[in-house]
Amino acid sequence: MPEGSQGITRAKDICRDRFRRVKELRKEGRKILGYICLHAPVEMMTALQIIPFRMLGDIYETPTQVDRFLPRAFCPFVRSVFDLSLKGKYDFLDGMLLVHSCDAMERTGRIWESVVDHHYFHFMDLPTKVSERHRKFFREGLDDFKKTLEELTGKELSFEELKKAIESHNEQRRLVRSLYEITEKVPPKISGSEILQVIGAITSIPVEEGNKLLREVLAEIGKRKSGKLKGPRILVWGSVLDHPAFVEMIEDLGAHVVIDDLCTGTRGYWVDVKLDGDLLSSLAYYYLVELRCPRTFKEAPSDGKRKDYSADLEERFGYLREFAKTWKVDGAILQSVKYCDCHGFEVPQVKDYFNSLGITSLSLEHNYMIADREVLKTRVEAFLEILRGGVE
Amino acid sequence: MSGEGKKRYINRLKSFLPLRSKIDETYKKSLEAIQMGRPVAWAMINAWYGDPILRAIELETVYPENFGAVCAAEGIAESYLNRADAEGFPSHLCGYARNCFGYVSRMTKELGGKIPPEAPIGGMPKPIFLLSSNIGCDARYKWFQALGRYLDVPVWVLDMPIPGVKELFRDGVYERCIRFIVEELKEFVHFLERILGVKMDWDRLEKTVYDIEEMNRVWFEINEFRKAIPCPMHSRDFWSAMPPSLFLAGKPAETLILYKEMWKEVKERVDHKLSSIHTEEKFRILFSELPPWHSLSVFENMAERGWNFVIESWGYHPPPPLDLSGISDPLEHIARFSFHFHTAYFKDALEEGEYYGYMGYPLLKFAREYKCDGAFFHLPLTCRSTSTHQLYLQEKMKEKLKIPSMIVSGDIVDLRLFNPAEVMKRIEVFEESMESYRKVREERS
Repeated sequence: MPEGSQGITRAKDICRDRFRRVKELRKEGRKILGYICLHAPVEMMTALQIIPFRMLGDIYETPTQVDRFLPRAFCPFVRSVFDLSLKGKYDFLDGMLLVHSCDAMERTGRIWESVVDHHYFHFMDLPTKVSERHRKFFREGLDDFKKTLEELTGKELSFEELKKAIESHNEQRRLVRSLYEITEKVPPKISGSEILQVIGAITSIPVEEGNKLLREVLAEIGKRKSGKLKGPRILVWGSVLDHPAFVEMIEDLGAHVVIDDLCTGTRGYWVDVKLDGDLLSSLAYYYLVELRCPRTFKEAPSDGKRKDYSADLEERFGYLREFAKTWKVDGAILQSVKYCDCHGFEVPQVKDYFNSLGITSLSLEHNYMIADREVLKTRVEAFLEILRGGVE
Repeated sequence: MSGEGKKRYINRLKSFLPLRSKIDETYKKSLEAIQMGRPVAWAMINAWYGDPILRAIELETVYPENFGAVCAAEGIAESYLNRADAEGFPSHLCGYARNCFGYVSRMTKELGGKIPPEAPIGGMPKPIFLLSSNIGCDARYKWFQALGRYLDVPVWVLDMPIPGVKELFRDGVYERCIRFIVEELKEFVHFLERILGVKMDWDRLEKTVYDIEEMNRVWFEINEFRKAIPCPMHSRDFWSAMPPSLFLAGKPAETLILYKEMWKEVKERVDHKLSSIHTEEKFRILFSELPPWHSLSVFENMAERGWNFVIESWGYHPPPPLDLSGISDPLEHIARFSFHFHTAYFKDALEEGEYYGYMGYPLLKFAREYKCDGAFFHLPLTCRSTSTHQLYLQEKMKEKLKIPSMIVSGDIVDLRLFNPAEVMKRIEVFEESMESYRKVREERS
């Protein structure tokens, strides 16, 4: 870990050089497994002393190797991560867990396994629906994953170790939620882009180190003086933002990104894994039901004969009402990388939901790379002007 | 070369005609059903997962994916696509889905639920429910979920396990998947009984399942005949004849007879070494994914140059026959058959160290077994499901089989994305490449 820096500075340092700490730990003999989507049950890795490492892309690096295997009209985030892997930048990993979170991941995973030589590679299917029967089926899939981890480490995954690992990750979830509690205040003492960097940092180091870092950050932010209210309070929704540049761009234009619905933001930290009963069942419930992602099919309960659109939106997006209220949101930016079908289909519906709440929203599509930010800036600027007309 | 009076170079089978007409018949029946006060469902292509049950319970069903292809071929799609854009759906989403959003938006917002008068082959009447699945792509359930903006009908999603290639062979995984699918089907039957107010006729289901398996066995054998040199059946005939298998257009018992007729015609061609093109078969071509429905005439132009399209993508073909004679439960038959469709090539793939067990690996196998000289990949820009594997396969075909391929971007619905003139320019160069690789293969063998 970078020496000398503390709290938020240290988090930013780690986020900038995400590979450094795990490479050190690998030299010390620790095993590192990569995963991309949030649906990877990291607790099971932690329980066996394996370090889960979230594999991200690089918005500054033009993909070159990946063009041999994936079309350009394809999720640019997945293309970027795969490109880095093909260039050998993820060679420090002992292997990968690839979860069937969406088509892009599932299909790329099959190519990945065929062309990148990993000592360990496991593909884990994930049901689309969330009923008890689907959870049980997924739980059996988790049991398969457990066996592969035991084969990899030569150790048995005990109940106690798994419980301890879940407790640590739950602690991390609580600490991240505490960060977001700070942004409830007007004006917030921490920016949205800083939060994304902290999360980028903690997903690249062991959970206990991440928790220590979070406590440092919280202590530091607690001592910060309140800033000035600069402008509209924004909620950012959508597909993966694995670099703070997009949020920084919004904040540089004078807005506060106070809350998000992103898989690199709140989504992985909003609910704890329950610790009662069979722990694999708890994990199955958490990863299939609790984790928010449009890839999972959810709907409002009904008589099975008629669908009520408003009720359906409330069931699927009701948490956004709470976000908007608690974080006093003035406007929402719905962003998605191009070719993300799961989020793309969702956009008009999320927009409908924000309309029903009386919240103005802007939808933006981008190509993931940093060069795209300037184009988006003009549209965000115009949107913030509209909001300022209402805010001030 | 599709204009009237011009010479046609594809030697079309006669037996495809009654099979193709089953599509028109399906739409006609759905309209008749609505006129008679009977319900109609919309379904995604589901690889014989939910369809056998819909047929057995006698619910008329139309397929918005197929309707998208029809709208594209009839030149109607563009207005629906523009309408979907205006509704806020990103333009990179599935062309079939966007066509459907435009259609439904027009139907519900402008016409009070009536079928738009410009809709081809009678249009799709308002459904009683939407049968969705995760088979093939995420769009297949996200699309129907998004239709909730316009239609107040329930969506039923059939979940299909999609294991990894090596993971499928871990202890107990295969049978666990089968049990899961059977339970999915039981719930689906209960849902249908509830919404339709009728009981499943299990004897009819058993007969339907038998007919479907038999029909697909015959259809599979027809396609096996195409390994012959010269190839007796062109891809155009395949696409025309596939809907009774793929969508179960028509009654399986009747279409089984039609496929048997086709079997005879194709077998006769094999026996007499008759080709499916009227020119010398210079190049045997594998076609990957869906064709540009709006520009099918390019295949005539290519046939004129001796291109014979001898095999297509895995996703539109039935799986190799499976012996299910020891299984009595029709739901288990369905489960095993549908799951087999997805996993039939996993074992071979694993043996070759390939992990793209469906979509990808089967095409490598087909290219080898159908003695292809080249592959023509149509890369639909709005379909991730059918485009993801193409570059990978291009690489693998060249590396493992010394078979070159060309990739042509386009779309299944949006004709603005496909340029037939450019395709014709490129194929001359590609012919040289195929000749050159043919020599490499000969030297290697």
